[in-house]
Amino acid sequence: MCLNDSDRQSKGYVMALGLDLDYLERSARGEFDLGWLRNGHSEWGVHAKPSKTGLTMRDIAIGSYGEVPDHAPRRTMAPRGSDVDPDVPDLGYTINDKAEVWSDNLLDLYEEAVSRQWSATRDIPWGDLPELDPDIEHAMCQLATVLSEVEMVAADFPAKWLWRINHDFVEAKMFLCTQVMDEARHTEVFRKRALANGGGLGRSSAVVERFLQLILDAESYDEGSALMHLLGEGIVLSLFRAGEFLSPSPVEKKIFRLCMQDEARHVAYGTMHLRYRLDRDPSIAEDFHAYLDKGEEIIAMIFATPEIVEPTAILAAGGVEQASELGTAAGEVMRHQIIGEYLKRCQHAGLDRRGRLHLPEVLIQGVPGAMPEAMA
Amino acid sequence: MAPIASPFHSARWFAELVARASADQSAMERLGIAEIRLGLEIVDANGPPHMYGIVLDGYDIESLGEVMEKEFAPEVVVSGPADAWQEMISSIEANGSADAAHTLNSLTITGLPFSVRAGDAMGHDKFFRYMGTLQAIFDAAGTPATVSTGR
Repeated sequence: MCLNDSDRQSKGYVMALGLDLDYLERSARGEFDLGWLRNGHSEWGVHAKPSKTGLTMRDIAIGSYGEVPDHAPRRTMAPRGSDVDPDVPDLGYTINDKAEVWSDNLLDLYEEAVSRQWSATRDIPWGDLPELDPDIEHAMCQLATVLSEVEMVAADFPAKWLWRINHDFVEAKMFLCTQVMDEARHTEVFRKRALANGGGLGRSSAVVERFLQLILDAESYDEGSALMHLLGEGIVLSLFRAGEFLSPSPVEKKIFRLCMQDEARHVAYGTMHLRYRLDRDPSIAEDFHAYLDKGEEIIAMIFATPEIVEPTAILAAGGVEQASELGTAAGEVMRHQIIGEYLKRCQHAGLDRRGRLHLPEVLIQGVPGAMPEAMA
Repeated sequence: MAPIASPFHSARWFAELVARASADQSAMERLGIAEIRLGLEIVDANGPPHMYGIVLDGYDIESLGEVMEKEFAPEVVVSGPADAWQEMISSIEANGSADAAHTLNSLTITGLPFSVRAGDAMGHDKFFRYMGTLQAIFDAAGTPATVSTGR
């Protein structure tokens, strides 16, 4: 017996999503629709060929499937290149221009991210942690506390924007998903380090939290990506390099080395994304300058926050007694590295920050290209 | 473990290093894909510097022997005096892998004894992106037949 609409409603079968209930009955009788089979416009005969590492995202970026529109024609989760019903709902994406999220190295970075995943549980030889001098253990745990704190913002930020990015740019979304996983693992590994050797967690400072808030509260993906991928993660990359150098045991060395690789991948996206963005619309360069004018104080924070400066100095010097002298020298190396590498990344992206850094003179002295006269 | 038989530095030494690192394909796959043209410059106290080229392509590693920088077009070059290179290799051979003072990162972070140069920021950052793989390759000087995964 068939039910009419009135019967269905009276029996409570109200379907809000537009299901064709008659099809239930037709298909039960063996009457198939087959519209998807007969009327498709997909590229029949497409054969993506695996390259030597397997079937990569670049391998399947072929024919019309490899064409990413500069502006997404609709706002749906329909896979790019699929046949789409005309009455699909609008899912409300707000990032609908490719240049807002794209970078030329995106497909390769995604594959790299997937293949270079590691486990903080399995791949770190936690059982080999040696007992350390208490001051060194405290310093290591304080640094681990800060890193466990700051790394999660680099998951929170992309997660905040992921659902707003149009599905036509799915490769960008996929890469950002790998970043979320990377940052979860960084948070995990530093939390584990703090709790694995007797020291425990150290202090979380208000100034660090304010900088994390700056990234999280960015009003646009442009702003947040510049602050996080380019500036913040570049700084953390230098911290990871310093951490590997200063590590009190091979266990921490391995932690920092693995984190360094992930962080460098995120910076590679941030640098090349900004370059892609500015290549297509140079008129927005001043907007990015403004974001960085506001954000560069984060560099000063690294050198003006005791919870970061002092444990780093103690690890560099091998103890509290020697920290003021040897630790200061290590700080100098980091200052040159952080600012110098940041300037070079900006330059590669097409945003020349030489001579217009928003930093106190004491921080930029001696760094090539950092002082205002660099522009003369 | 027996050190690499060929003298350091020589094209044969780097070829053997790469052969050792490549011997355990599953270890290289576990480290993950990498794409980089790396120049290793050894500066002798007397005479001109020598550059050896290594190319990482996916999971493959290739030693190109001694190269001219201009023709090889490396994305990044690690450069240092021959005695510092020799000290690093000796440390790896003695310990089976680099000790704390002789990792690639430790030797390059202050610019001494090794410096890192690149044509642009992306090339420079690749040195950090593949640090685990690059370290595993050099650690193979201390571990013939298999290579540490670096994980």
